[in-house]
Amino acid sequence: MIMRCGILACPALLLVVPLLRAEVGPEVTEALKLSSTIDRLIEVRIKDAGIRPAPLASDAEFMRRVYLDLAGRIPRVSEVRAFLDDKRPDKRARLVEQILRSAAYVNHMTNTWNRLLLPESNNRRFLDQTFRAWLAQRFRDNVAYDTMVRELITAPVGYSQGRSLSRSTGAGQAIAFYQANEFKPENLAASVSRIFLGVKLECAQCHNHPFAEYKRTQFWQLAAFFAGIRSTSRNGFVTTASESPRVNKIKIPDTETEVVARFLDGTEPDMTSDLPLRQILADWVTSPTNPYFAKATVNRFWAHFFGIGFVDPVDEPSEGNPPSHPELLEEMGRQFAAHQFDLKYLIRAIVNSKTYQRTSEVDGEEPEPRLFACMAIKGLTAEQFWDSLVQATGYRQTNPQAGRQTVFTQTTARQQFLAMFASQERPTEYQSSILQALMLMNGDFIGSATDGANLEKTERLAAIWDAPFLDTTAKKVEVLFLATLSRMPSAEELDRMVRYVDSGGPKKNPRAAIADVFWALLNSSEFMFNH
Amino acid sequence: MAKHDYQLTRREWMRLTSAGVVGFSMSGWIEALARETVNNPQRRKSCILLWMNGGPSQIDTFDLKPNHENGGEFKEIQTNVPGIKISEHLPKISKFMDKMAIVRSMSTKEGDHGRGTFLMRTGELPQGPIHYPTIGASLSKELGDDQSELPNFVSIAPYRFFNPAAWGPGFLGPKYAPLIVGDATRAFRTNDADAYQELLKVQNLQPYGDVSKEQVDARISLLQSLEHDFVRKHPGISPKSHQTAYDRAVRLMRSEAAKAFDLSEEKDETRDAYGRNLFGQGCLLARRLIERKVPFVEVTLSRVPGLNVFGWDTHNNNFPTVRRLCEILDPAWAALMSDLKDRGLLDSTLIVWMGEFGRTPKIPRGRQNGGRDHYPNAWSTVLAGGGIKGGQVVGRTSADGTTVEERPVNSHDFLATICKALGVDPHKYNPSNVGRPIPIVDKKARPIEEIL
Repeated sequence: MIMRCGILACPALLLVVPLLRAEVGPEVTEALKLSSTIDRLIEVRIKDAGIRPAPLASDAEFMRRVYLDLAGRIPRVSEVRAFLDDKRPDKRARLVEQILRSAAYVNHMTNTWNRLLLPESNNRRFLDQTFRAWLAQRFRDNVAYDTMVRELITAPVGYSQGRSLSRSTGAGQAIAFYQANEFKPENLAASVSRIFLGVKLECAQCHNHPFAEYKRTQFWQLAAFFAGIRSTSRNGFVTTASESPRVNKIKIPDTETEVVARFLDGTEPDMTSDLPLRQILADWVTSPTNPYFAKATVNRFWAHFFGIGFVDPVDEPSEGNPPSHPELLEEMGRQFAAHQFDLKYLIRAIVNSKTYQRTSEVDGEEPEPRLFACMAIKGLTAEQFWDSLVQATGYRQTNPQAGRQTVFTQTTARQQFLAMFASQERPTEYQSSILQALMLMNGDFIGSATDGANLEKTERLAAIWDAPFLDTTAKKVEVLFLATLSRMPSAEELDRMVRYVDSGGPKKNPRAAIADVFWALLNSSEFMFNH
Repeated sequence: MAKHDYQLTRREWMRLTSAGVVGFSMSGWIEALARETVNNPQRRKSCILLWMNGGPSQIDTFDLKPNHENGGEFKEIQTNVPGIKISEHLPKISKFMDKMAIVRSMSTKEGDHGRGTFLMRTGELPQGPIHYPTIGASLSKELGDDQSELPNFVSIAPYRFFNPAAWGPGFLGPKYAPLIVGDATRAFRTNDADAYQELLKVQNLQPYGDVSKEQVDARISLLQSLEHDFVRKHPGISPKSHQTAYDRAVRLMRSEAAKAFDLSEEKDETRDAYGRNLFGQGCLLARRLIERKVPFVEVTLSRVPGLNVFGWDTHNNNFPTVRRLCEILDPAWAALMSDLKDRGLLDSTLIVWMGEFGRTPKIPRGRQNGGRDHYPNAWSTVLAGGGIKGGQVVGRTSADGTTVEERPVNSHDFLATICKALGVDPHKYNPSNVGRPIPIVDKKARPIEEIL
C-alpha cells in the first residue's frame, strides 16, 4: 500500500488525470475504460517486482512516438510547435484522434500489414501493388478486423465453378494473400494459423514438435480446409488457381494417411451445410468465441506499440512461453471482441494508457522489458525510416513513380534505402550494419541534404538559413532539432551547437557549420530509433 | 520453462554481440586503430565462393558425356590429373585439377531460381518465418575477427534479383551482412563493357562531395556528444549496435586497409590475366581481400556484356553462351589459383564453384542454337584449395547424365563439407528469430569425408 501511495504521489501521474475526462468523442471515453484496466494490471506487476514505473514521457517524446507508431513518420516542425504550444489538458488524446483520421495512418497500417500478410517470396514484389490498394481501403474505412480477415480467408482464388475472377472488385485483390502462399494448402494453413491465431504450426508440418502441443495431424487437418485449391498455371511468377470448394480431405505427404478438415481446437466443422470449406473456416477463425483470434490480435498490436508482446515471439504461445500478463491479455481480447473487433478502439485504449505514455529514459540498468515499466527503444522499419528522413530533410521526390518499371533493379533513393534497411524481426533488438552507417554518413541522400558548400540546393538548410524570422543561430539550431528529433534542444546542447556554428567549424564558415550540425542530428541514435 | 531460460541467455547474447568487442568510447574513433594488428599468429582459413548465377550446365563444364547424344558439341580435354577430363573451354583451370575435387553427384529437389538459390546459399528451402542466413554470413561469423578494419564478409558483383534474402544475414542480424561491391542487381542492364571500373568501388567510403577530413572529424565529434547523452539514458541493445556499426564504418573510412579495393595498385599484366571484366576483376579483388585476412569473399558471374541472358540460364543459345562464360571464368579462376599458390595462401583458402542447380542433359527440340533447362536432379560443383584433397571426382552420373548413380550430395551435405574444410563445426547452433537455436547446417548432413 505504501508503494501505491508513492505512485499516486508522483507528480507525473497527476498530469494524466485530466486525460480521463477528455473533451473528445464518446468513442475515446469508451476506450479509456480499457486504458485504465491496462494501467492497473500492468502496475500491479511492476509493484510486485519491487520497482518504480518510469514517469510519463514529455509531450515531445510522446508526440514523436505516437507519430512513428501510428503515422509511420516523425512529425513536421509545424506540428511539433503546435502541439507543444497547445495548452488543452486533453491534447494527447486529441492528437491521437487527429492521426487516426489522417492518410498517414492508412499508409502506415498498410505498410505494416502488407509485410505481415505477404510472406517473403519470389512473387511478393509483383503482388504488392494490388494488395496494398486492398489493404488501404480497409484501413481507410476502418473495416472491422474480423470482417477483414474473413474477406482474406474467403477471397475468390480464380476460376471457381465456371465463374471467373473479377479483377476490378476490391475483394478480388485479396487473392494476393493466396498467390504469395503459392495456393498451397500447407502454406495457407501455416499463415492463417500464425498470423490470425498467433499459433505457429510450421514445424508440425513435417514432424510432431518436441515441445509444442501441436501435432502433425492437426497441422494437416487445418490444411485440409484449403485442399480444394489447385494452382492451375505458372504464368510467369504469379499463379492462378481453380477450386473445388467442398473438398475437405488431404493426404499427408510421404504417408498413406488422409486427414479430414478439423479446427485447431479439435472440433469438427459442420459439414451438413452446403457452405464452401473456406467460409466455414473463416466463420470459426473470426468468431468472438474463438479462443485464439482476439487475443492473438491484441498481442500483435501490443507488440506493435511496445516492441515486445505479452507472448513473445508473438506467434509461439506454448507452455514454455506463457504470456507475461495473462489476465490483461484475456480482458483486452474480451473487450476487443465486445467492441466488434474495432481496431481503432484497440489502438485508442493502448496509446491513451499511461503504460504507453511512459518515458523510455532510465536511470541506470534497464528494467526487465516485459514488465513494461518504461517504454522500450524500437528500431524503425525501412518505411518508417525513409518517410522520416524525407520529413526531416524536406526531400521532394521528383517522380515517385520513377522506379516503377525497374522491378528488376533498385534505382531510386527510396528503393535503395528500403533494401538497405530491410525491417527486422525484433524491433527492441535492432542491429545496425557498417554499410548502413556508411550510407548515412557519406551517401548521396544525406550528403546532398547536408551539403554546406551548396546550401542553396538543400531543401531544409536553405529554408532555415534564409528565413527572416530565424534571425539568430539559436533559432536556426532549434529548428534543426525540431525537424530531426522532434524536440527543443536542451540548454547545454543549444549552447554547444550555437558555439560550433558561430565558430564556423573547420571551414570557418557558419553555413558549412550548420550543415555539420544537421548531419550529426540525422546520424544520431535518437533520430534513428523510436523511443 | 527451458524456453524461458533460453530467452534470457539469448538476450544476453544479443547484448554482447551488439556491443562487439570494442564498444564505444568517448575518447575517440581512432583509438581502435591502434589495436589494428590483432595478434592472431595462427592464420585462420578463408573461403572464396564463385557463384554461378542462373545454374551452370554440368554436362558442358565438369561432367561431359562425349559419347552420348546428350553430350552436345563440346569436347573433353585432359587435366593435370590422369583420368580426369573436363570441358575444352576450361583449359587453364584444367592445370589445377590436382588441387580440385569435382562433385559430380549433386542432387537437390528445387528447380526454381529463387528457391534454388536460397537452398544452395543457406542449405534450406525458404519456409515461413525462419530467416536463414546465407552461408557467407554464418562462416564469417565463425572465422571473422570483430576488430578487423575490413568487413568479414564481402560480396562482389552479386545479382540478387532471384531472391535477395539468399544474400542476407537472416537471423544473425545486419552485423553479419555482406559488404556489397559492384552490385550487379543495379547495373544488370548496362551493356557498357567498362562499367566494372566504376562498379567495383566500395559505395560511400569517401565523404560526400567536398566534405574535408577535418569536417568529417568535426561532424563525428558533434555526433558523439549527442550519442553520449542519449546512450546514458538509454542503455539498451539497439543504441549500442548503432554505435558499434558507426565505429567500424569510421575505422574502415580511415583505414589503410581500404586500399584493398584500389585495383590500380596491381600491375597491368596481372589485371589482364584475370580478364578485364566484372567477374575477372572481382576475382582479383577477392585475392586482395583474402591477403588482408577477410575470411569470406564471394564473386558472382552473372552477366556477359552483349549476351542477353541471366548468367548461366541458357534455355536458348546454350553452347555459344556457355563457351563465352567459360572464356571469362577460366582465366579469372586460374589466375586466382595461381596467385594464391604463389603467395602461399592456397592451402588456407577454400575455393567453391557452384550455382543454384544444373541443366537438363537432354537438349529439348526447337531451341535456338540448342538450349538446356533447369535440372536439380544430377549436377556438378567444385571444391578447390585449402582443406581439400585435390585430384578427385566425387560421385558419378549415368551414361546419359540424367541420374546420380553414386554418392548423391544434397545442399546440407555440400555446405557441411565446406564448413569442415574450413575447420568450422557445421552443427554449431545460433540463436534464431523463431525462439529456438538453429545449426549452421542441418544435423542430417553427411559431409563428403573422402575429399577432406
